[in-house]
Amino acid sequence: MTTTSTVAAVPRRRRVVQHKRAIAFFILPFGVLFTLFYLIPIGYAIYQSMLVVERDGTFGEAQEVFGWFQQYVLVFQNGPFWRSVGRVLLFGIVQVPVMLGLALLFALLLDSPLVRGKKFFRLAFFVPYAVPGVIAAIMWGFLFSPNLSPFTAVTKNIDFLGADLVLWSIANVVTWVFVGYNMLIIYSSLLAIPTEIYEAARLDGAGQARIAWSIKIPLVRPAIVLTAIFSIIGTLQLLAEPQVFRSFSSAVTNTFTPNMTVYATASVPNASLAAAFSVVLALATFILSFTFLKFTQRKEAE
Amino acid sequence: MQHMKRAAGVVLLATLALAGCSATGGGDGTAADADACKPSTGKVDLEFTSWIPGIEDAVALWNSENPDIQVKVQTGPNGNSGTYQNFFNQLKAGNAPDLGQIEYDALPNFRVQDGLEDIGVCSEVAEAKDSFVPWTWGQVTLGTDKSVYGVPQDSGPMALFYRSDLFEANNIPVPTTWAEYKDAAKKVRAAGGYITNFSQSDINQFAGFVWQADGQWFQNNGDEWTVDLTSDASKQVADYWQELIDEDLVSTVPAWTDEWNNAYNSGNVWSWNSAVWGANSIASGAPDTAGKWSVAPAPQWNAGEEKAGNWGGSSVAVFKGTDHLYEASKFALWLNTSDESLTLLNKSANIYPATTEGLSLPSLQEGVEFYGGQKIYDVFADAATQVNPDFVWGPTMTQTYADVSDGFKAAVTGDGTLFDALTDGQKSTIDAMKAQSIPVKG
Repeated sequence: MTTTSTVAAVPRRRRVVQHKRAIAFFILPFGVLFTLFYLIPIGYAIYQSMLVVERDGTFGEAQEVFGWFQQYVLVFQNGPFWRSVGRVLLFGIVQVPVMLGLALLFALLLDSPLVRGKKFFRLAFFVPYAVPGVIAAIMWGFLFSPNLSPFTAVTKNIDFLGADLVLWSIANVVTWVFVGYNMLIIYSSLLAIPTEIYEAARLDGAGQARIAWSIKIPLVRPAIVLTAIFSIIGTLQLLAEPQVFRSFSSAVTNTFTPNMTVYATASVPNASLAAAFSVVLALATFILSFTFLKFTQRKEAE
Repeated sequence: MQHMKRAAGVVLLATLALAGCSATGGGDGTAADADACKPSTGKVDLEFTSWIPGIEDAVALWNSENPDIQVKVQTGPNGNSGTYQNFFNQLKAGNAPDLGQIEYDALPNFRVQDGLEDIGVCSEVAEAKDSFVPWTWGQVTLGTDKSVYGVPQDSGPMALFYRSDLFEANNIPVPTTWAEYKDAAKKVRAAGGYITNFSQSDINQFAGFVWQADGQWFQNNGDEWTVDLTSDASKQVADYWQELIDEDLVSTVPAWTDEWNNAYNSGNVWSWNSAVWGANSIASGAPDTAGKWSVAPAPQWNAGEEKAGNWGGSSVAVFKGTDHLYEASKFALWLNTSDESLTLLNKSANIYPATTEGLSLPSLQEGVEFYGGQKIYDVFADAATQVNPDFVWGPTMTQTYADVSDGFKAAVTGDGTLFDALTDGQKSTIDAMKAQSIPVKG
């Protein structure tokens, strides 16, 4: 890359160049994979979203031509897509705080010196995360099913899979799967808190509850913010659980979540509109996560 | 000599001119066709994707008889459950298999996406026209005279599967009209069951009901499409089923699920208006009810009429980009016309052949054990001749089905009606076609 003769004159610089090569060598695998499976697909999706189809006659051959932002106009006119965005936002506003609240509670309990059998509970809470999302959804689908559930006495009377409740049944599945995962992130951050702080707090006469509220929670804030951002992204990208629930419930439409709308559009097949949906969804996710991050950082600064 | 030379020259010129004429005038004629469908030299490997149970056996038979044309078969979920999506993706990526299973209702969709080879250029295919039940041939020519976009495999004439034991035990006569069907539904409900399950996701079944009522959903005049999901016939059918849903005379569990199988297997649901291939679905989904089912002609809208709807039926199409059009179409013809193949497919998947000769296969003359030994194919053979030959499918059926299905799902949960769903589906179908620059009225 660089001219070796000039570099060779100064020994100190040569070492820097050697480092550069080493860095390049170690970054190369990542760089290649990142480009192949991230940058190129995103670039292609953006390019695809700019194409429109032209044809003559009822069975005329389709010509893809560059149409700038025509597909995006269709995206913003698409009722089902925005209804699905609204649906997952509602889902997120309820489900994310509940899930993170539970995760924080479990993490604090595990970290508290009062609880016995920590290893067991840590594993027990985490096990659902090891179950693949699709399997979890199938399992819960059967549990909620009015005739096939082991709890038919309940499910025959409460329609968990009906239009009113199915969103919250899905929220239940997502919460069940991800509480343990988020708990583990918060818990590991709790373990990193120096024990001297607790000692000092105890000397000042603070009880366990007071320590949890005034010391632990403020100190694991960054971990909570991190899990919140992961959860916001996960919520907007909800696909597997509702897709599986389609075979259990009449209330899950093919445009139930934004990702399902993308999937349905791609199977028309209308690849350009599906790509435009995806780009808009990615931007929305980015804006939402970034706003949340800025918001929490500003609060921290105050 | 001079004269002769000049004469020869004139003749030569004239010949050249004629040849020129025929070359330009007949560019799409036989000379070009022979080129387009020419045998390859050497051994040929073909890829074929399907979802028909047991199709591997038929392909293995072909492979043993044709060492130079080897077919590799891959099976996946049925069309709208994922295989079509794969086909579309493979076509876009330029690596589609040579052959694929495509139902009649999806052919226009693949045609509009420019995914199909016209196998009508192969003389053997064009000559096979008369071997097929006329309306099935109409489904693969898509309204053209010479083009053929798939070899018909089977058809799905509809009839009524019913639990003869339960109907008899409760003294309910087998309904012959839809009005009688509703009366029977009330009696079945009183006996604690449901006469049938209204499927919110099988819009092609609903289309079969509309088909039977002489309705049409699409028209294609060559310049533009007309979408007509809300015709009088559609309204009649939608209102009828809406009544049954409103009066709680039909169950509404999602079709093709364990819950649905359970509803039939446990005797909670007593009948199913389905196609000939449904014989297989009941036998596999409700094994505990073996011997208790019978098949009767479909209920009619007007007493004394003999009309049948059609649900499903598929073709084997050759995808754009194949290097072996000749071999692929030869295989597709064998698969769907030869006695050996059709017998195997009928045994393994209750495939009901689309060829006229296939309808008299020995295996179609036998009684079927699951149906108490009834010769059920006799009922379907009659139904096959009663199907309106002119039903046209639209170019975005995957989307139409998905959207109408969403509406039907809402309707069974009490949000809107079936006809509302068709009205919304009409609009969204037109929108989807416009989004792809497909000329459409409205």
